[in-house]
Amino acid sequence: MSAPETGNGKPSAPSARLMYLAVAAAAGLVLVGGAAFYVATLKSHHGDDASNIKVAVTSKSCEPNEISVPAGERTFEIANTSDRPVEWEILDGVMVVAERENIAPSFKQTLKVRLAPGDYEVTCGLLSNPRGTLHVVPSEEANAAPTHATMRSFLGPLSEYKFYLGRQSSAAVRTAKDLADAIHAGDLAKAQALYVVARQPYKRIEPVVYRFSDLQNSIDPVADYFEKREADPAFVGYHRIERGLFVSKSLDGLAPVADRLVGDLATLDERLKAMKMTPGILIDSAGNFATQLSRDRLPADKSRNAQGDLSDIEANLDGLGKIVGLLRPVVKPVDPALAQRIDTTLSETENAVAEHKTGIDGAAPDAPDRPGQRKNLVAAFTNLADALNQLPSAIGIDSNGT
Amino acid sequence: MKPHFLAATALAAALGYAGMAYAEDEDSKLVEPLAAYKSYVADHTEKLLENTTKFTAAVNAGDIAKAKALFAPTRMDYESIEPIAELFSDLDHTIDSRADDFEGKEKDPKFSGFHRIEYGLWTENSTKGLEPYATQLLADVKDLNHRIENLTFPPETVVGGAAALMEEVAATKISGEEDRYSHTDLWDFKANFDGSKKIYDLVKPLIEKDNADFVKKVDENFKVVDDTLAKYKTADGYELYDKLSDEDRKVLAAKVNVLATELSTLRGKLGLN
Repeated sequence: MSAPETGNGKPSAPSARLMYLAVAAAAGLVLVGGAAFYVATLKSHHGDDASNIKVAVTSKSCEPNEISVPAGERTFEIANTSDRPVEWEILDGVMVVAERENIAPSFKQTLKVRLAPGDYEVTCGLLSNPRGTLHVVPSEEANAAPTHATMRSFLGPLSEYKFYLGRQSSAAVRTAKDLADAIHAGDLAKAQALYVVARQPYKRIEPVVYRFSDLQNSIDPVADYFEKREADPAFVGYHRIERGLFVSKSLDGLAPVADRLVGDLATLDERLKAMKMTPGILIDSAGNFATQLSRDRLPADKSRNAQGDLSDIEANLDGLGKIVGLLRPVVKPVDPALAQRIDTTLSETENAVAEHKTGIDGAAPDAPDRPGQRKNLVAAFTNLADALNQLPSAIGIDSNGT
Repeated sequence: MKPHFLAATALAAALGYAGMAYAEDEDSKLVEPLAAYKSYVADHTEKLLENTTKFTAAVNAGDIAKAKALFAPTRMDYESIEPIAELFSDLDHTIDSRADDFEGKEKDPKFSGFHRIEYGLWTENSTKGLEPYATQLLADVKDLNHRIENLTFPPETVVGGAAALMEEVAATKISGEEDRYSHTDLWDFKANFDGSKKIYDLVKPLIEKDNADFVKKVDENFKVVDDTLAKYKTADGYELYDKLSDEDRKVLAAKVNVLATELSTLRGKLGLN
């Protein structure tokens, strides 16, 4: 059985012929660097691409065991000179950047990979063999830094965010159903415990949910928005249930509200799954939401139980952190300083939330915060929002229509 | 390259971001299949964790018959998501390496994971001394589950995974190399096959309009492999590898190699090279 051909390992004869033609044509057109082209042409004529970086995997190590290459797209030619099938991997920490597997003894495979500057490890045959080192040095090719992000760089982040939204909205439906079941069963203590859990997934995806104002108004409105406040028959959603569970400490009238919440969350789940993903969803949502938190919500505690308020903030920050993590590889190449500033403000905000948690853990519902604490929290979120609000101009993709 | 694409590119260059909408629309079509693939992988890693928990419990309880019965089905969830699972080189080595990867082969103390346990259960016909490997395997699978949950899948790895899985079949399953102690290779084969087909099916709607012949050929080849494999289906899984007839082995080897070559063009077709 012959080794399978892949996108990376093209049959050598035709590619050599193509290379010959390409190199010859280039030489003819450009009429410069004659000697270099001559050498390349000669080599390619022998089925051997001069620009390939050659590595042999012996039974003991790679040869050479230390390689230095310029950043950019590079092709490695890996020859297995040991007596067992081997794999050759380029590693960034524990993550595989690129690999060829199952290279049979005395066979060669090629591997084409785009490499960013940095030091990488390379596996060489037996797992106990010493690892090789690959130094990727900055190059003109790689230094031609992009001035704005491409849609391609958003592909992974948007796909991951779509998955994340779907997971969280499914969890929101499931946990609301559990809460509704406890309410129907008349179990106040269980319903109280489930309430905080049920809110988490919703709070994680809140940066995007604001796009669906009808649902937001029935899922998570605050009593102040209704004419008769808490007593208003139109007051529904999480906070209506919260009021029953933690203020009235009664399940009276909560069952239909819980059922409606489950239904509204199911609608939200459907809409999120059908939502068209565009870069703007990531670029705009985080900043808009952090601004809303720091300016409108955090200064006024809208929750009616202290632990619940903190859980809300933690879940919100969790959701913002997800977006920041997804955007990091997009932002870093075009604006490293902003990427750094966002990371710093995010971790400062996480610290502020952790401090806040120490302050209110064990405190009674409605207990006042320690002086200054909420102020610190608001300040941290304000800094985070300021940093996130730079994203649209820094990334430079027209995010209209989102 | 299509002329209207060139025109759009030129326009984009001339107008700054104004042309972005076109490229955005073309590329963003991949978001749905990529997100759906992540769900597929997440479901399989969850099931892998569930099954590994049962499998390692049977090993630790010294229940050889049960452990043997659970070995092959448990591995399937790993094999079907291998393009993603093997991105984590440390875990891939501790979970799925072969004795050949170690100087001392089967006796090498570093040899661990599924195949080390397989060696104990079948070759030594004992669970003696397997507990540390079972404990480590379960811990590794938990770790893998967690890492995959948080991983943004590289689009080119996902799309390239369709061919990578077929290469995996060609290199390690058709030869009966991978599960050499238990001979349950056809289970792994089926899982690799399903994983490859999943990726292909997810991106197929994006390419079939412009690649009708390609899609027809690939569909046919998948069907031949699937039909051939189906002959070896049993009530609770697959026949042992030695039951595979020479004739069918040849058919599978040929078709799998063709599929590996054909599927390796997917990245290019989707603009991910």
